[in-house]
Amino acid sequence: MGGYRFRWDVIPQNLDFLLAGLQQTLTISAITLCLAMLGGLLIAVLDMSRFAALRFLGLASGEIIRNTPILVQLLWIYYVLPVVMGINLDAWWALVIGLSIYSSAFIAEAYRAGIQAVPKGHREAAQVLGLSPLQSFARIVLPQAIRLTLPPLAANFVQLIKYSSLGAVISVGEITRRGMELSSSIFRPLEVFTFIAVIYFLICWPLAMGIRLWERRLSRR
Amino acid sequence: MAEPAIPAQPGKSLIAAKNLSKSFGAIDVLKNVSVSIDEGEVVCVVGPSGSGKTTLLRCFALLEQPTGGAVIMRGKTIAASGASTEVRQAAKRVRSDIGMVFQHFNLWPHFTVLQNIIEAPRRVKGIGRAEAEADAVKLLEKVGLADKRNEYPSRLSGGQQQRVAIARALAMRPSVMLFDEATSALDPELKHEVLLVMRDLAAEGMTMLVVTHEMGFARNVGSRVIFMDQGDIVEDSSPTSFFSAPKTDRAQRFLRQLQD
Ligand SMILES: Nc1ncnc2c1ncn2[C@@H]1O[C@H](COP(=O)(O)OP(=O)(O)OP(=O)(O)O)[C@@H](O)[C@H]1O
Ligand SMILES: [Mg+2]
Repeated sequence: MGGYRFRWDVIPQNLDFLLAGLQQTLTISAITLCLAMLGGLLIAVLDMSRFAALRFLGLASGEIIRNTPILVQLLWIYYVLPVVMGINLDAWWALVIGLSIYSSAFIAEAYRAGIQAVPKGHREAAQVLGLSPLQSFARIVLPQAIRLTLPPLAANFVQLIKYSSLGAVISVGEITRRGMELSSSIFRPLEVFTFIAVIYFLICWPLAMGIRLWERRLSRR
Repeated sequence: MAEPAIPAQPGKSLIAAKNLSKSFGAIDVLKNVSVSIDEGEVVCVVGPSGSGKTTLLRCFALLEQPTGGAVIMRGKTIAASGASTEVRQAAKRVRSDIGMVFQHFNLWPHFTVLQNIIEAPRRVKGIGRAEAEADAVKLLEKVGLADKRNEYPSRLSGGQQQRVAIARALAMRPSVMLFDEATSALDPELKHEVLLVMRDLAAEGMTMLVVTHEMGFARNVGSRVIFMDQGDIVEDSSPTSFFSAPKTDRAQRFLRQLQD
């Protein structure tokens, strides 16, 4: 190992600083997930609208979001959007909004799949009994679709935990950014980034495993 | 529970198709079909696969928009090819007056039996929970499933599910019930319990339009038999004359094939 001497004691010495970053990471991911669940619903409803113009809007925004890099989207929201819209967006909000929009497009797909998995006959039964389209959607389709959508939503949360590290580029103080700052001040990048990688893994891996089990159980029913 | 708003008047047309046509793209599934069902009649629809029986029923249930002609209920047009606002409003008013039972039951799996039955009375008619539940239990007793009220549909046999579906439709106090092969998806030993419920319903004077492959039911319970083939009504007669002396070649061939 090239004679490098690991100095793991730098980690406990700076643990509070790093864990505060982890807290930011988790907060950002959680808030973003909530916003993206709403945004995803909006895109899904637009996609399935009766009106061609709305369908186009939903489809186009989904395609744009899915086919440009998330990093470019974040940079665009951070640097370009304030100029275009004439608003002042701090880095934290730029990250949250950017990630939310990005996730919305993927969550919309999950919603759509969940909604399409509800047999047409269930809606027809509701229609024949006189339920309005809105009642049928809210009472019959959505509750069934949500159950199928939960695993993909959880999977999205894992994605968000990882993608929130992109906040480092626009200097949001989540754990990756703090790692960068720490390693450049104490010159211990190997220890710091190894520790951070392990932290990400220890959070994401059990979640991903749990989701896999959950999906298997749902599909067996 | 409220009684049907309009008392049954035997011998008076309740629901009718007038020159009804339905095409899916280039396929003409119903070709200028006319038929009228009087109050209290039990009309059985039979015919080979693909002859348009389901489509006819779905037009009556307002699930398909006709491409020609009209569906008329108590003299009012409730479906037509170029449906006007007036027609749509009439359709909305009679919507829950037309009950339908599907081949695959279509119970809502995330609701219990009781919840399945009270959903429409509560949301559509605004009936209170206690009253709706009391009525649902009465209907469940009628179909012999009162003890299953708190089960989820997936825990019931197909025959039980179909009886719940019938109770769910009856909870809206429809004046006509449409059955689309209500027993076709069931094992032979389960068909019987559903057919008995349907027979009782007929005996109570319910107006029924029944698509079925159960010739015994058509013969014994039906007051009229309609034979469809290739999107046409080919025969429309009493069960006795249809089964003992079918007039057309096509009906004769159909009945002969059933015997093999
Ligand atoms: N939504 C649809 N789109 C295209 N074709 C359809 C559609 N629904 C029905 N058809 C066609 O219409 C024809 C009649 O169908 P329908 O289901 O009414 O027949 P059926 O008499 O009920 O037959 P079965 O005894 O098999 O149930 C069939 O050829 C079918 O393929
Ligand atoms: Mg059919």
